[in-house]
Amino acid sequence: MVQDKTLGSRLFDIINYTLLTIVSLIVFLPFLHVVMGSFATAEEIARKPFILIPEHFSLNAYRYILSTNAIFRALGVSVGITVVGTFISMFVTSMMAYGLTRRDLDGRKTINFLVVFTMLFSGGLIPSFLVVMNLGMIDTYWSMIIPTAVSAFNLVIMRSFFANLPEGIEESARIDGCSDFGTFFKIVLPLSTAVLATISLFYAVQYWNSYQNAILYVNDANKWPLQVLLRQVVLVASGFSADTTHDFVQPPEQTVKMAVIVVATVPILLVYPFLQKYFAKGALVGSVKG
Amino acid sequence: MELSASTVAPNPKRTSRWKKRVLRNRYIYLMILPGLLYFALFKYLPMWGLLISFQEYVPTKGVMNSPWVGFRQFHRLFSDPDFWNLFRNTLALFFLNIVFYTPMPIVLALMLNEVGRTAFKRIVQTIVYIPHFLSWVIVVSITFVMLTLDGGIVNDMLQYFGFHEINFLLDSAYARPIYVIQAIWREAGWGTIVYLAAISAIDPGLYEAARMDGAGRLRQIWHITLPAIRSVVIVLLILRIGSVIDHSFEHVYLVINSMNRQVMDIFDTYVYTAGVQQGQYSYTTAVGFFKSFIGLLLVMLSNWLARKFGEEGVY
Amino acid sequence: MNKALNKPSRTVSHWTKWGSAMSAAAVLASLLAGCSGKDNESESANAGAAQPTGSAPASAPASAAATDNKPLKFTIMADLHTPEVPTEDILKLLEEKTNTDITIQWVPDGSYDEKFQASLATGTLPEAAFIKNQASIALVRSAIESGQFWEIGPYLKDYPNLSKLNPDVLNNTKIDGKIYTLYQERDLARSGIIYRKDWADKLGLEAPKTTDDIYQMLKAFKEADLAGNGNTIGLADRNDLIYGSFKTLSSWFGAPNGWGEVDGQLVPDFMTQGYMDTMKFIRKLYTEDLINKDFPVTSKTDQQNLMYTGRAGMYIGNLPDVKTMQEKTSKNVPEAQYDVTNTIAGPDGNPRLWAVPGYGSLLLFPKSSVKDEDQLKKLLGVFDKFFDPDVANLLKYGIEGKHYTMQDGKVVPIADVKVLEKEATAYLGLALADYTNITPSLYTLPVMEKANNLVKAAADFAVPDPTAALTSKTQIEKGARLQDMITDATYQFMVGKLNESGFQAAVKKWQDQGGADIIREFNEAYQNGQ
Repeated sequence: MVQDKTLGSRLFDIINYTLLTIVSLIVFLPFLHVVMGSFATAEEIARKPFILIPEHFSLNAYRYILSTNAIFRALGVSVGITVVGTFISMFVTSMMAYGLTRRDLDGRKTINFLVVFTMLFSGGLIPSFLVVMNLGMIDTYWSMIIPTAVSAFNLVIMRSFFANLPEGIEESARIDGCSDFGTFFKIVLPLSTAVLATISLFYAVQYWNSYQNAILYVNDANKWPLQVLLRQVVLVASGFSADTTHDFVQPPEQTVKMAVIVVATVPILLVYPFLQKYFAKGALVGSVKG
Repeated sequence: MELSASTVAPNPKRTSRWKKRVLRNRYIYLMILPGLLYFALFKYLPMWGLLISFQEYVPTKGVMNSPWVGFRQFHRLFSDPDFWNLFRNTLALFFLNIVFYTPMPIVLALMLNEVGRTAFKRIVQTIVYIPHFLSWVIVVSITFVMLTLDGGIVNDMLQYFGFHEINFLLDSAYARPIYVIQAIWREAGWGTIVYLAAISAIDPGLYEAARMDGAGRLRQIWHITLPAIRSVVIVLLILRIGSVIDHSFEHVYLVINSMNRQVMDIFDTYVYTAGVQQGQYSYTTAVGFFKSFIGLLLVMLSNWLARKFGEEGVY
Repeated sequence: MNKALNKPSRTVSHWTKWGSAMSAAAVLASLLAGCSGKDNESESANAGAAQPTGSAPASAPASAAATDNKPLKFTIMADLHTPEVPTEDILKLLEEKTNTDITIQWVPDGSYDEKFQASLATGTLPEAAFIKNQASIALVRSAIESGQFWEIGPYLKDYPNLSKLNPDVLNNTKIDGKIYTLYQERDLARSGIIYRKDWADKLGLEAPKTTDDIYQMLKAFKEADLAGNGNTIGLADRNDLIYGSFKTLSSWFGAPNGWGEVDGQLVPDFMTQGYMDTMKFIRKLYTEDLINKDFPVTSKTDQQNLMYTGRAGMYIGNLPDVKTMQEKTSKNVPEAQYDVTNTIAGPDGNPRLWAVPGYGSLLLFPKSSVKDEDQLKKLLGVFDKFFDPDVANLLKYGIEGKHYTMQDGKVVPIADVKVLEKEATAYLGLALADYTNITPSLYTLPVMEKANNLVKAAADFAVPDPTAALTSKTQIEKGARLQDMITDATYQFMVGKLNESGFQAAVKKWQDQGGADIIREFNEAYQNGQ
């Protein structure tokens, strides 16, 4: 991109960069504290409220977490659910989102309203549990995917993006003899990499963080995803159980809590940078002529 | 594209235009079918649960056998002496959230978009959405560590510069501002993602043309970038209106204490104490129902407004 | 966007076929996932069918396993307090000793209540299910009252251990005057003062015996600034009126435990002089800077941190916590020495301390899975064995040689905490016995032994809550919200935002909005019970 060299533009850049750097620091420092804290010793954490660089580097917290066998299984479960779930969700959501952009679709407005309605009203925990139970999904991996397969929020966003594609594109596709499915797969999807990447990220995070479904629907501890395990580590420590613990149950150190956060979030954090390349600028340039 | 004529009944007069359209669009219906099934099964089928707000529900009796009490649960809610305070707080937090939060991700996205160099942009983009992954427990505990009078950084700095200590945590005047700032800190970065996606679709040629015309950076943003993402902004705004009324319960619950309850208590926290913890299913559901209803009105209103201004709403 | 076609296409397009197939596949897949052949429903609902008894009549107690050789098969829902599900060595031993085939349905502590409720509402609770803790009773109360669980009261006398359960504690677990649950034992009064003995020694102070001693000690601590740099904090408190310092202190000012008799009537503690005196005491500490300034919003972790970093001199709370406290503080402040006490005199000169109802969690037997009296009796027989010395010690300590060794007839847990956590600790969630028939453990830390002895001794002067076994309809409906009012007023008074008349106004508000009904209902129930 050709850079502007005027004074006003330079000034703009300077201010912009400065502000962004400040924002980054404000946002990053507490997280850095958590990451660094996870590599510190428990004593140091207790002494200093904020650690930027630990005095004594220690892997104890990680050793503690990784010493459980369950963590690798849980990690596998989480990865599996995230990958499969994201794929299924993207498939169903994108098709429905595209379908709903067709203005001559009968019932479109009603369907849209019904979708938005579900964002506000919900039947509650127990009715949902009954549905899942009656579908025979209790204690299966599916129970952590299917009941949350489509997010109305994501659907509406996708639909909005699809609807904003230039009209000419679809028309020319039709003239060329492309079917509905064809238009969708060959034209619309390739042009929508940005929103597809975005919503994939949203779904991936949703599945990665899934916790409540697992607790409710899955009794077999072998099938529990990572978040369940990690929350146990943290909750056991933070004194939420009113019944005070027995004499030799040691609450994990602060450092362990921090390490838990790192383990729980860093994997999914790494997904975004890989997706950033799909935010290619001007993907539409040249596709619509005249 | 299929030729509709090949499958249409031989007598065009008998077949209505409507049927023709449905037939022509049959593959579209097929495309939305899985999604529809999902909503039907997992969202609408359980909605009978809302009925228990009209009952005195006993879980082991089920919906069929629990006594019906009409609007008694709602009456109980409306006649609670705290009702208006809860209503006011819920709306106040809602508006603060919408008004102060909404511009943030947009501004941030615009700023990020203006950064030419990829490395810096990518790094900042990634950093800025990290707080979204920290749970509210962490956010609140970080706030505590920073603002506490017993050795918190902010107060230490204030004293260092000769100012008085400020009792952030116990003074109810700071409760709402802290709440909003926490929400912004945590979510603004995450919110930029969608906007950046929208901005990426803008034709760079437009910027070039504008530059030729002598437009400065700010004018380019105002005349090109913003209008291009306008529909996304509006859709997201309406969606947010629909979801914010839900307020992150966890967030408010963690922030509430004996000093600020008057200004922070909302329907969600109210029902947690009055309903959930007491096993009062019907009451809990009724309060949630009421709150959702308010949210629905707000969404319908904002959607109508959007359409009036020529935008596409959410339905 | 669509324009009608004029030209027919020759074949159905490739994409259409593929797309339709995918759609149909998606629909099919979701249906299939739902109907995955096997019985995926919770095994618990079907497990545990009663075994045939042989010739013994149904009414005979099943404590003798002689009539039934097959192991009793059933599932228990238990609260998981460790990061992962434990190994099964202890479980196997338990099954051997009790002639059972037990499946444990572990539920993570953080969502226990939700899972319990969902299971309850859908009839999928197993044969035996724990309630998370005392606070969770409210969630099942109506289910219990509508007969969803077995009333086990009448059967207890038939079992050697169950018949000897503490009647006071059993009384506290009654719902509507009937016993539905077995309980997990807990000591009655575990709270007290943990303080820096090394500081006290330096200042020539003895263990406090009165509330005034407490004040003097805090004052001396603060003035001497033994933590250095003006960082010294006297008392470290947190945002919990019950498990923080307040309630324990209030015992020492003569306040009742929750409710007490004044002039023959039951009144709530906050309407007594003792409560007001406690508030004034803490308010004094607050104005004189003898307590951490943000105590109304301080979490347990941050409160304990103030001790671990050596900044605070006193902690009022669970005495057995002194073990952890000593260990953690010593790492930061090697010379720190803690001491404990709980014999502070009330206004009449005698020590007193508020008592918890005496149980941690409760065990219920749902009728949805325990089909008949016979099965119930067999289950009770199994749980009766939980109080036998070998089973009780197994669940509390683990396997001898593997998880602990014996020294002087006392139990010494092995040093490797991780092994304990992987294999043994979780079973505490199943244990019913906490001190009955339990071999005492050896305390390497003298102050820990002292703490334990003090806790045991406190049972003698523990003050119960007379309303623990009583029911008040209004309390169930509005009690929690009303209590918030009082909690807020209490904190606001203590930090100086409210004065006495303001507090009394809050009390009056409490009464007007339902409190008066609660008082009346409790008193009626109390009179009826006399």
